[in-house]
Amino acid sequence: MIQAQSLTKRYGSKTAVDAVDFTVQPGKVTGLLGPNGAGKSTTMRMIVGLDRPSAGSVTVNGKHYREHAAPLREVGVLLDAKAVHTGRSARNHLLALAATHGIPAGRVDEVIELTGLGSVARKRVGGFSLGMGQRLGIAAALLGDPAVLILDEPVNGLDPEGVQWVRRLMRHLAAEGRTVLLSSHLMSEMALTADHLIMLGRGRVIADAPVADIIGGSGSNTVRVRSPQATRLATLLAQPDVTVTAGEQDTLDVTGISAVEIGEQAAAAGIVLHELTSIGASLEDAYMALTHNEVEYRTGGSAELQEAAR
Amino acid sequence: MTTTTLPTAPEAAPNATPSGPGKDAAAIRLSAAGLIRSEWIKLRSVRSTVWSYALLVVFSLGLAAIMSASLDLQGADVSMVPAANQATFVAQASTFGVFFGQLIVAVLGVLTISGEYSTGMIRSTLAAVPNRLPALWAKAAVLFVTTFLVGLVSTVGSYLVSSAVLSGKGLHAGLFDPAVLFPVLGGALYLGLIAVFALGIGTIVRSGAGGIAVVLGIVLLVPIVLQMIPAAWATSLLPYLVSNAGINMFGLMSFSQVPIEWWVDLLVVLGWLAAGLVGAAVLLKRRDA
Repeated sequence: MIQAQSLTKRYGSKTAVDAVDFTVQPGKVTGLLGPNGAGKSTTMRMIVGLDRPSAGSVTVNGKHYREHAAPLREVGVLLDAKAVHTGRSARNHLLALAATHGIPAGRVDEVIELTGLGSVARKRVGGFSLGMGQRLGIAAALLGDPAVLILDEPVNGLDPEGVQWVRRLMRHLAAEGRTVLLSSHLMSEMALTADHLIMLGRGRVIADAPVADIIGGSGSNTVRVRSPQATRLATLLAQPDVTVTAGEQDTLDVTGISAVEIGEQAAAAGIVLHELTSIGASLEDAYMALTHNEVEYRTGGSAELQEAAR
Repeated sequence: MTTTTLPTAPEAAPNATPSGPGKDAAAIRLSAAGLIRSEWIKLRSVRSTVWSYALLVVFSLGLAAIMSASLDLQGADVSMVPAANQATFVAQASTFGVFFGQLIVAVLGVLTISGEYSTGMIRSTLAAVPNRLPALWAKAAVLFVTTFLVGLVSTVGSYLVSSAVLSGKGLHAGLFDPAVLFPVLGGALYLGLIAVFALGIGTIVRSGAGGIAVVLGIVLLVPIVLQMIPAAWATSLLPYLVSNAGINMFGLMSFSQVPIEWWVDLLVVLGWLAAGLVGAAVLLKRRDA
């Protein structure tokens, strides 16, 4: 569990993280989502004590990170695939990190196999591709079998197979009861991997809710309906809070009314339907709606924001 | 928490059986011994270390051989040379390499930490050791002991080379003659200390080029500049420069009109080292990594 209270980081006059409060719960994958410069990396760096907060605090499993006797057992962190000396082999890098905590060499070989680095483990890291560097970073994060995993953009540079593996790995680790926090600016990735989202914008939390709620709350669910009597159907559906947009080939995009209601109304009026499809809102739509609201309701809490977004 | 069926990467070996650290979990924690082992793995697993130490030994032995071989007694009767003077010459030939060796280990000392900053490794190091200072102390200890031991190999090796060459010319001095043993040990000690001083500077500057420039400036340039200043205060400062005190400590040259006790020289070198390390510790603790 990670708990941040009024966590703030200022660089000179610029506030990178602005008094954020959040709790990352164990047993699920929590996504830290936001555009570049939103404060995701800075927040993660403060959690593991690499950056000192300007104000507020953040604890991991009830203590500041540096107060733990075995930090690598508490938190495994991938902040930057390049946090490795390029002149050292992958295995020696992991052995050096493991030695600090007395983690046996057998565990090093285990994470090397787990991350698929076996064939390159004795090669110098300087020659690694971005994807291999990312695997090494994940191997280092898993070294201490930690209760909390923090991964900054873990799928960066990975091939599609690697992306799927990271996704399964994250879900598996969360299912074991661990706390998993990952950041991404890729919303499609988050929609697939995360259970819960903390959205950051300009250093503030603009949403903190389950992924489904955030997508559902964006209010842009659209139903696509195709009918040879499209014009008649459009007239039938016309209501103050329903928007009907005519598309090509007798297609209508309708918002503000559910697919079930459209089907029932059409049946009652004897209108033939050729297609009736619910098009769910994407996380992207939800994100745009939320960031739009962030500008309008700068002082509001996240709950209010979600209300406003509905 | 157990890890029984962690998904393995597509490239993973089919028989990979992940099962957590596999050791009594309570035994897995930060410890001084673990940090020392970690820094030792780091030091020996980069090429610059191997190159620097190899260069140190080769330079020392080579210079000892050249200095001994070039000694021309011009037919003088060697039996007339007092034993003390013979021992002094053997000692000088044995430690001549230290003068150049200090530059090699100073560069190595800077690279030991600047390499971590330039590659980003420092973030991995400090995430594993969030209190930070124990990592610096471990690094300093490992660097000191290793450099001292390699320094000892090069000074003792230089003694063996030069005493072999010089005995052919009739000059003799035993390794355990205090006039020889003391410089041989002192030279190696100085090499270890100057490497740690450079580590401190490297930690403060956080850049390889900058750190090497500062350290070589202090070790090489400042003594030359001070010597060129025709003022009493400049001359009186000379014995208190780190390289002058270090060289005086093992008896290669003296920079003071009045003889200075070896332990005063040692204190001067330790003072420089402490200043570098304390500055490094304060900044390492305070700065964002």
